[in-house]
Amino acid sequence: MTLFDKIVSRELTQNEAIDLLRQWRENNERKSNEIAMIHMFYDIYSGKISANERLMLKEQLIFASLDVHDLLTEFQIDFLLQEFPASMRVMRYKAMVREAKEKYDEALEILDYIIKADETNAPARKRRIAIFKAQGQITEAIKELVDYLKKFMSDVEGWQQLCELYLSVGELQRAVFCAEEMLLHQPHCHFHHQRVADIRYTMGGVENMELAKSYYCQALKLNPENMRATLGLFLTTTNLLNHYKSSGNSAKRKEAWKLSQWTQTKAAKRTATKKIKLTKMLLNLAITE
Amino acid sequence: MGEITFQTEAYAKMILHAAKYPHCAVNGILFADATKIKEGAKNQELDIVDSYPLFHHSHYVSPMAEVALTLIETMAQAENCIVAGYYAACENFRDNTVDKCPGQKIAEKIAEYFPSAVFIVVDNKRIIRHLDSPAIKLHKYSEGKWKLKEFNTNQLFPDRFFLHSTSQLLQGHKETELVDFDNYLDDVSKDWNNIKIRTYILDDIKSEIELIKKNKEI
Repeated sequence: MTLFDKIVSRELTQNEAIDLLRQWRENNERKSNEIAMIHMFYDIYSGKISANERLMLKEQLIFASLDVHDLLTEFQIDFLLQEFPASMRVMRYKAMVREAKEKYDEALEILDYIIKADETNAPARKRRIAIFKAQGQITEAIKELVDYLKKFMSDVEGWQQLCELYLSVGELQRAVFCAEEMLLHQPHCHFHHQRVADIRYTMGGVENMELAKSYYCQALKLNPENMRATLGLFLTTTNLLNHYKSSGNSAKRKEAWKLSQWTQTKAAKRTATKKIKLTKMLLNLAITE
Repeated sequence: MGEITFQTEAYAKMILHAAKYPHCAVNGILFADATKIKEGAKNQELDIVDSYPLFHHSHYVSPMAEVALTLIETMAQAENCIVAGYYAACENFRDNTVDKCPGQKIAEKIAEYFPSAVFIVVDNKRIIRHLDSPAIKLHKYSEGKWKLKEFNTNQLFPDRFFLHSTSQLLQGHKETELVDFDNYLDDVSKDWNNIKIRTYILDDIKSEIELIKKNKEI
């Protein structure tokens, strides 16, 4: 039974529903459909929740509703506006409704007003960037985001978004800079190491391959279960092996060969019982290269 | 012009993939039945029997795409299929053109090996719970470009229940059960073949046929 069926058939208890919402909120999961469904089928506000959490739930519902394009949520926002007439946060919801209706100019007007009143309002600035992105104006979005990151340097999500935008326009060198910035902020996150390695691999060339190898290794050190890093390391070492074979660097060749063997056994172990034979694929790759 | 047909399974997985990640660009590979391919023919008859959803993030870095495509080649051989096309859906709701899609390089590579390849762009706008049109745009490769091709829905989809079956899947929120290559890499115990989706479709067709029979008896 899927989570959806459970929600719709009211199989969750009220507390379970609240816990689920809390968990998604904390992990920043984009489960808009599920969130909207829970609100439809459960009376969560009658449960044991603090006044603070009640507002958090409302905000979560507003974001989810807008994401699934349920514009009726505007009523909710109006109630909140009565409760907190001067709140910038509620005003931002208003801007988001305009955004959902694709009235981008009106949304920008509200956001500019918020930013003028409160220069440190990071979420409003981020929404501005989202609007450019939604309109497909990638260069403008990049420009805005670069400006934003000059002011809010420790925003890892911002760096991640900039990294993706640069990748989408093929600016790999700049994307790798953003990825390294994320690495500096969260050095223990294996994803960041893997991301740098992925970009380095895409850039190509022996130097980048060597770097990719080191980053993949570090990612695997932090999380041995990272399948992407395992396979990435395999590709990188196979690539390096070919290079050193022709250039005759035996010490490095040996090292790359060892690593390549290690990743093969590792990948084989993890997928041994599976129908999709990754091992066969790896072998194919090793032969063709 | 060679005729192209789409089996419901290939079609449904494509639509479900786009529905599972409405906020992301998605892409995937289309398989055609290799037994119907004529060696050396210029305009191939294509029977697209299956699709493999690939990614919903990291479209612009190559390592995992290389792994996926090598894997797909092995699988295609094992299933007596041929890699015959590429599908993608854009990140922004209103975008439905080839040049806004991710992974055009993959598509061009496919066309290089198989010149009759197709490029399907999923039209986000037309995906609804009760599908009333196929919601796709068909492109063929000619002279180094992907050219939009009009199609006759009844001809393209021999299974007359295809919209009904796919709508049923959407209404049952079965898209949450679809596994793309990104999901597979996150958890290798998941079934990337998506056998489940096939059973759902077969069940739906069975129940539809039974319904029609019953109505006739009455």
